[in-house]
Amino acid sequence: MLEGFDSPHSSQRTLLEVSGIEKKFGSVQALRGVDFDLLSGEVHGLLGANGAGKSTLIKILGGIEKPSSGTMNVIGSNHKFMSIADSKAAGIAIVHQSLSLVPSLTVAQNLFLGDETLKYSFLLDSASINQKAANFLELYKFPLHPKQIVADLTFAYRQLVEIGKALIKDAKILILDEPTSSLSNIEKEILFSAIRDAKKKGIGIIYVSHRLSEIMEITDRVTVLRDGKKAGSSKTKETDLSNLIHLIVGEKKTVDNASSPLKENKVTSSNEKVLEVRNFTNDRVKNVNLTLRKGEILGLVGGIGSGRTELLESLFGIRKINNGEILLDGELIKIRNIQDSIHAGIKLVPEDRHKFGLILEHDIEHNNAMTMAETLRRNLLIFSHIRSRRYAEDAVNKLSIKTSSIFNFMSELSGGNQQKVVLGKWLHANTKVLLLDEPTAGVDVGARAEIYEIIRQLASQGTAILICSSDFDEMFQLCSSFAFIRDGDVSQVFESSLIKTENDLHAKLENREWESSNV
Amino acid sequence: MIFMLNWKIENGNRAMSSTSSPKKPESIGIWSRINSSEQPVFLYISFAILIIGFSASSEYFLTASNFINIASQTALVTIMACGVALVIITGEIDLSIGSNLALSGVCASLFLVHIADNWLLGGVAGLVVGATVGLLNGILTVKLRIPSFLVTLGTLSILRGLSLIITDTSPVLVTNTTYWKVFAEGRLGQVSMPIFWTIFVIIVSWVLLHYGVLGRQILATGGNLAAAKYSGINTNKVKVIAFVISGVLAGLAGVIISARGHSIRPDVGQGIELDVLAAVILGGTSLFGGKGKIYGVILGSLIIGVLNNGLVLLGMAPSLQLTIKGALIIAAVALGRR
Repeated sequence: MLEGFDSPHSSQRTLLEVSGIEKKFGSVQALRGVDFDLLSGEVHGLLGANGAGKSTLIKILGGIEKPSSGTMNVIGSNHKFMSIADSKAAGIAIVHQSLSLVPSLTVAQNLFLGDETLKYSFLLDSASINQKAANFLELYKFPLHPKQIVADLTFAYRQLVEIGKALIKDAKILILDEPTSSLSNIEKEILFSAIRDAKKKGIGIIYVSHRLSEIMEITDRVTVLRDGKKAGSSKTKETDLSNLIHLIVGEKKTVDNASSPLKENKVTSSNEKVLEVRNFTNDRVKNVNLTLRKGEILGLVGGIGSGRTELLESLFGIRKINNGEILLDGELIKIRNIQDSIHAGIKLVPEDRHKFGLILEHDIEHNNAMTMAETLRRNLLIFSHIRSRRYAEDAVNKLSIKTSSIFNFMSELSGGNQQKVVLGKWLHANTKVLLLDEPTAGVDVGARAEIYEIIRQLASQGTAILICSSDFDEMFQLCSSFAFIRDGDVSQVFESSLIKTENDLHAKLENREWESSNV
Repeated sequence: MIFMLNWKIENGNRAMSSTSSPKKPESIGIWSRINSSEQPVFLYISFAILIIGFSASSEYFLTASNFINIASQTALVTIMACGVALVIITGEIDLSIGSNLALSGVCASLFLVHIADNWLLGGVAGLVVGATVGLLNGILTVKLRIPSFLVTLGTLSILRGLSLIITDTSPVLVTNTTYWKVFAEGRLGQVSMPIFWTIFVIIVSWVLLHYGVLGRQILATGGNLAAAKYSGINTNKVKVIAFVISGVLAGLAGVIISARGHSIRPDVGQGIELDVLAAVILGGTSLFGGKGKIYGVILGSLIIGVLNNGLVLLGMAPSLQLTIKGALIIAAVALGRR
């Protein structure tokens, strides 16, 4: 049963009402007349595929974007279209993934940041701040202590502080954008109980997520957007998973895409083993056994902190390997550092491309050439500009990177094109195994499809690919088989035929019996 | 003239890159060009202003002999600036070059006096000492993970102390005439040896940075250390090599100084690191790493040289010269990179 839903509908006030919202970005119509409303004390789930218009709608509510047309009413505010400041003043708070906390300060100091209580009008009154914070945390039953340093908290608790920051400034409408995408199950429960408590206080919450099981669990109402329009809206009690999926994917696509062609799109792998990992152990992964075949796209499914990124990093020589064997094409290889794995033909596209993948203030050619010295192992003294340019042009053409010239700076490219450059820098030399960590993070829908196509093509050319992604839809579309990882422990591999929907992945991940050893 | 040339090159590049893109807007404001640190246009402007200003106030300034004078006075700064630029582009810094110059020069001279009176071996000894110091700087920075600012601040003092100790604080006389000729007094055609060595260093470092694999790795290491590592570049090795090059070039400068004066004092080159760093930064090299051009470094050195020379010609007191030089450097950097 859903808690808090027994409150009679009549006692709830409307906090927010938008109707006929349209938004155009150039020639692209992101929203086509969307109606949406939010009551006090309700969790309203906002669903939709990537590009359906969810983030645009949120941005309009937050005052970050202005709608092209439509009306918007927020209770207690007479602004028609709002700026960011208006939106905040009206009590709308967006809790982002990118946290705005100061890690070195305590919970209490963060809650009252910029709004500190003063003694003698210039001294910080720590005692009073701590007391007020304690009262507040008590009120909302947040399992936090005012004097805890934020840096010591795990991600979920930091998110609670973030939510607390919004509530303490009298936010009436909370927008949670994919709040659980990096949380473990236990952490999710902490967040959910905070959401339920906030709800009881009459706060309205817009909950955006891809995870249908969560939507079913926490929301009171759901609205599904598709292609910039409202595809449907109903009470959560009165709908079910298949109905929601149907609304998200749409009539035609269910027939065209979701059933057969997606599966056919998937590359079938041969039986030739490319990479074999045996009893692979280090500080973050334990006793991993994995086999990658030629042309296989293996999805590594697991939450953040499950050790999935660490496994990829270990295979790429970033982390020390304590125990275990790696066989490449049947031969035992030793990976002591990144150079070793690159020379062997194992390449990684890291999760955070700005940090680990590219140099923003250099041009495409420079970025593309970063790997050349290592991958080619030739001409070590004199660099061939001609060859480097040829490789860069090649990458631009093959991956259809949208740019006017290879001498454009990376910072001028869109996220999708940047990601293609990061991919491209590995493709001018032998790549037997490609490790992809969140290959489409921060990439728009169009480029996403192109990147999927590139990945499929690489696989059909015989590259073995290991992907991990928080976007299960993406995994579902790409992978020919799945492996599940939790606490650094990889369970057996499932063929994709056993996984029929995105939600099977969730179910498998969450409900699997984890055996200590797997054969 | 350099100013004009650069404009042409720049326009040429833009024209080339835009041929494939009809949709890209063509008009890029002159101010955005001037303000972009990628093209240190401001450097040329300030260079031109300096030359015009000094020419107007001193009739001797704009003569060929004065320019040769400037070039040989700037030689040491230019040579060392090429090395320091490489270090700075990797995202590190080398403050120890002035002391390294003294120690290398002193060691080369002591080698000539006490071990073998051979110009080649003496010169090599100086370079080897310089390289060893660079290696030490690099390894301390990379292995102990001490910021290079602190490492080289420490070695700055250590090396100065060492050169005072091994010379007992008195100058070392150099009597090998071939050594004088090869490193300072000789000529190749019209070119005096310090200028010859400067040109040699410029060519080598130009090729290294802009045409060498190492140069690409240096740029990548400073541009984004993590991304360079993830691309398979051994960034520690790259940094150490840059420090060694900087050390060798400081050693060369030390050798040239000892040959030029027929002797070397252990306290030589104090404060020269400031001129060198100013030249590198004026030349558009990013202190954060990842950006820099050898031609910028040359121009930066020339500006420092012209400034030093012009202020002397104007008859300014050394105290005033120092003050004005510092202020002009800050102004030029502030206006040049925004």
